[in-house]
Amino acid sequence: MSLNSQTNFFEFLSYRADEIIRLLFEHIQITGFAVLLAILIGVPIGIFITRKEKCANIIIGIANIFQTLPSLALFGLIIPFLGIGITPSIFVLFLYALLPIIKNTYIGINSVDPSIIEAGKGMGMKSSQILRMVELPLALPMIMGGIRISTVINIGTATIASLIGAGGLGDLIFKGISMNDSYLTLAGAIPTSLLAIGADTLLGMIENALVPKGIAKVQRDG
Amino acid sequence: MIELKNVTKSYDNNKIIVDKLNLKIEKGEFIVLIGESGCGKTTTMKMINRLIEPTTGKIYIEGKDIMSMDPIELRRKIGYVIQKVGLFPHMTVGQNIELIPMLQKWDKAKRKARAMELLDLVDLPANEYYNRYPNELSGGQQQRVGVIRALAANPNIILMDEPFSALDPLTREQLQKALLKLQDELQKTIIFVTHDMDEAIKLGDKIAVMKDGKILQYDTPEQILKNPKDDFVEYFVGKNRLWKSPEMLFARDIMNKKVATISIKRSHAHAIELMKEKGVNTLVVLDTESSKPQQPLGIVRKKDLKLNEKHSAKIKDIMHTDLITVPESMNMVDVLNLMAEQQLKNVFVIDDNKNLSGIITQSSILNVITEVVTD
Repeated sequence: MSLNSQTNFFEFLSYRADEIIRLLFEHIQITGFAVLLAILIGVPIGIFITRKEKCANIIIGIANIFQTLPSLALFGLIIPFLGIGITPSIFVLFLYALLPIIKNTYIGINSVDPSIIEAGKGMGMKSSQILRMVELPLALPMIMGGIRISTVINIGTATIASLIGAGGLGDLIFKGISMNDSYLTLAGAIPTSLLAIGADTLLGMIENALVPKGIAKVQRDG
Repeated sequence: MIELKNVTKSYDNNKIIVDKLNLKIEKGEFIVLIGESGCGKTTTMKMINRLIEPTTGKIYIEGKDIMSMDPIELRRKIGYVIQKVGLFPHMTVGQNIELIPMLQKWDKAKRKARAMELLDLVDLPANEYYNRYPNELSGGQQQRVGVIRALAANPNIILMDEPFSALDPLTREQLQKALLKLQDELQKTIIFVTHDMDEAIKLGDKIAVMKDGKILQYDTPEQILKNPKDDFVEYFVGKNRLWKSPEMLFARDIMNKKVATISIKRSHAHAIELMKEKGVNTLVVLDTESSKPQQPLGIVRKKDLKLNEKHSAKIKDIMHTDLITVPESMNMVDVLNLMAEQQLKNVFVIDDNKNLSGIITQSSILNVITEVVTD
C-alpha cells in the first residue's frame, strides 16, 4: 500500500464513520448481552457443581461440547430451531461464553484452601456466608479470568454471527470479502481487534479494582 | 462442663474411629488429647462443635445435648483454632478478628475495641497490626491472630487442633507461653489436640492419651509421667520424659524418707554416737524418739559438736533452729535453686501438717537422676 492509499483509507473511514460506529455498538451489544447472560447463568452453575461434585463432570462435559463445535457449524445447527437474526446469535454466543465461566468458577472455588473453609465453618459461619464472604472473593481472580476469556472469544465469534443476521462489525468484514474491498474488510477487522484488546484491558482493570487487596498481594509475591 | 457419653464414630459401619468414648471436662480446665495419628483425637475434638457428628452416644455441654442445638449457634459459642490457621487472606487482621462479632451484630465500636484489646493481649500492638493483611505476618504472628480470632466473641470453650505443630520450635514455645498467659487471665475450657508429649505436659491440666479411638489414660501430667497405666502409655510418654520435665518431679519424689533424728532431751555425747552409727553429719532434732509424725525443731551438725566439747551439754542448747524446710509439693527445679542459692548440702521436707517427712541430700538427688536416666 502506498502512502497515498493510506490517506485514502482514512478518508474512507471518516466517510464510513457513522456506519462503523453503529456496527461497533451493535457488536458490543450482542457480545455484551451474551457474556452477561453467561455470567448470570454460568457463575451459579459453577458454584452449584462445587456443591454437587457428581454433576461437575457432566455439566462441564456438556459445556465442553459447545466449546468444541466449530462456531460456523453451531450457527448452522441453530437456524432450524431459532431461525436467523439477533436472538439465535446471542444464544450461540452465550453457549460459547458459558464453558470458561463455569469452569473457572468451579476451579476458583475449589482451589480455595480447605483450611480456610474449615476455619470459617468451625467459627460458626453459615455456608451461605462462607460462599459470599470467603469463597467468592477468593475465587474472584479466577472467575474474572473466565469472563475475560469468554468476552474475547465472543468478540471474535460475533463477527461470524453476522452470517446469520446478527449485524455487528462482521457485516463489514464479510461485505468487504465478497466485494473484494480490502478497505471495507479492514474497517470491520481493525475495530473488532481493537474492541477485543480494549475489552480485555477494561476487564483487567475491573478485576484489579474488585480483587481484595490481601490476595492481590499474595499473587504479586508468589 | 463438657461430657462425652459412650460416643462412637464409625464410617460405613465398620471403620471405627472413636470407640465408646467417655470424657468429662470441667469448666476452666485445659485438656490435651494426645495420641498417634489416626487414634481419633481430632475426630473426638471435632464432634464437640459438630464439625463431625457422632454415630452413637451423646455429648453434653452444660448439661445440654448438643444435637438438640443449632450447629451454627453452637459453633459460635466455641472458639476454633486449627493447625493451618485458616485466616481469611482477603481480610485484614482486624476484619478477621471481628468477623464473628460482626455476624452477631455487635456494633462497630464494640467490635473494634474487642479486636484491639485482644491484639494487645498477644503482644501484637493493635495500631501496627489491625490493618495488616495475614500474608504480611510471620507464621507465629498469624497463629496469634488465629487464637484471638477464636476468642473474639468471648466463647467459654476453645477447641485447638494442633495449633502450634507447624511452627518452628522457638516460635512454638513463645506461643505456648502466650497461650498459658491467656489462659491464666481468661480461664476458658480448652480442648487441645497434639501429638507432642512435651507440649501436652507443658500445657495441660489433664492429658487424655488415646489409642484406637479409646482413651487409655486420662490424668494429670504428673500421674501420666509417673504412673503410666500400661505399656503403650509408657512407650508414648517416653522413658526419659520425666527427666526432661524436672518440674514434674517433686520434693516427695526425690527425698530420702529415712532421716537420722535425735530427741531434744538427749545429750552431746549421744549425738556423736548416733552420727557415727548412722554415718551422717547432721541430725534432725525432734521432740521425742517415737516414730509418730512430728515437727522438726532444729538440727545439730557435726561441726557444732566439736566446738562444744562439753559432753554433758543438752541438744536443745546446741541445736540450730534456723532449719530450712521445703513442702513435699515443691518441684525439683525450685528445690535445686534453693539449695544452690543458700549453698545447702541438704534440705528437709515437711508434709502438709509441717511434720518431717524426709530429707533431700545431694546424694538423694543423684540417685533420682541415676534412676531416671539409666532406666
